[in-house]
Amino acid sequence: MSRHKISLRVNGQRYELEVEANRTLLQTIREDLEMTGTKCACERGDCGLCTVMVDGVPTKSCLVLAVEADGKEITTIEGLMKGEELNPVQRAFIEHGAVQCGFCTPAFIVAATALLKRNPKPSEEEVKEAIGGILCRCTGYRQIIDAILDASKSGK
Amino acid sequence: MIPKFDYFRPKTTEELVDLLAKYGEDAKMFAGGTDLFVLMRDRLIRPKYVIDLKGIEELHEFSYDEKRGLRIGATVTLNELLESDVVKERFGVLWSAAGALADPTIRNRGTLVGNICNASPAADTAPALLVLDAEVEVAGKGGERTIPIRDFFIGVKRTSLKPEEFVKAVRIPNPPAGAKGGYYKWGRTRGEDLAVVGVAALVVNSGKRIVRVALSSVFKTPLRVPEVEKVFEEEGPLDEQIERAVSAVQEKIAPITDVRSSKEYRIHMAGVLTRRALKELFGGS
Repeated sequence: MSRHKISLRVNGQRYELEVEANRTLLQTIREDLEMTGTKCACERGDCGLCTVMVDGVPTKSCLVLAVEADGKEITTIEGLMKGEELNPVQRAFIEHGAVQCGFCTPAFIVAATALLKRNPKPSEEEVKEAIGGILCRCTGYRQIIDAILDASKSGK
Repeated sequence: MIPKFDYFRPKTTEELVDLLAKYGEDAKMFAGGTDLFVLMRDRLIRPKYVIDLKGIEELHEFSYDEKRGLRIGATVTLNELLESDVVKERFGVLWSAAGALADPTIRNRGTLVGNICNASPAADTAPALLVLDAEVEVAGKGGERTIPIRDFFIGVKRTSLKPEEFVKAVRIPNPPAGAKGGYYKWGRTRGEDLAVVGVAALVVNSGKRIVRVALSSVFKTPLRVPEVEKVFEEEGPLDEQIERAVSAVQEKIAPITDVRSSKEYRIHMAGVLTRRALKELFGGS
């Protein structure tokens, strides 16, 4: 199997790695870089729990090869705080109790943060559309939607 | 774990042609990877060589010309299509099909060309391309050729592409003036799932009626039903014509029973969706 030298930025820090062709971006984030906030569940693009931003775009990292991330800017849940300060989406999730078991939470927060960057004042329909690729099996979607809408109102 | 393979990322179509000439049968190409890596993980296919098309800039071209219509390169994502006003306004049936495929995160990676090359009978964009008379631009060691979309699908997960060929782009001519269209997808849930049945319809209701209907998930390939077109070639009361079109669809399709639905339910819903599509598309003008 081919091996590849890659250079990528994850949460602002540059990493130089050598990866095997079949390694996924999800495996590299969790196992090579030991950032376990991004979750691994279905590994077939259905659940969306492995969602990270690739150059700002929400992406299911279980279906991306690590070698494809060469030269890319990756943002995971670990990269959303500014110093000790939570971002508005993270704060809103706490205020709205938008967490039950918590396993899907990083994916929703990453997707919502990407949405608000692109569209700071989304409608409820646009919020639902943007999180349509992520499953919460506790089924607490109401609080998640409310939290994202609230984060959009609190502004920056 | 995805089984082992060698990865290539050619930068030019010439490099790609050489790779395919060398490895053809044992190679798979991808852009988004949203179908390929699932199939590989499930061990349904075991390519020795995997070729990433995203390094070839030319394949990312996406253009519109008043005379020639749309041209969508192999690595153009479904969300890039959905963001295009031209697609939304002039190719409504394709816009609505692209928006029905999987979910918005998958559509950030998945491509139109990938959807048709995967050649699932459930491919959501295929019925839209069938009613739009799309053409597939193909290249390989032996040169270039164009395959009409109606000849592209030859079986479940099978296309008329040869192992050493690749798809450069899909070309879509302008639809007839005044055409309206939509893709009506029926699934088990409102969220992401493959279609139980999908119906793409294109309708012109100014002067002579023109109607084209194609379906997903009801045959071994995505299927256009020319018998529907004949129904509308003669004049007659619209309601009667729609019912004859529904019967034509239900006679032509040959769905299977699987985890998503029984055969009988698919036949029933193909009729319901065809009727709904035609009533809505005729109703609004």
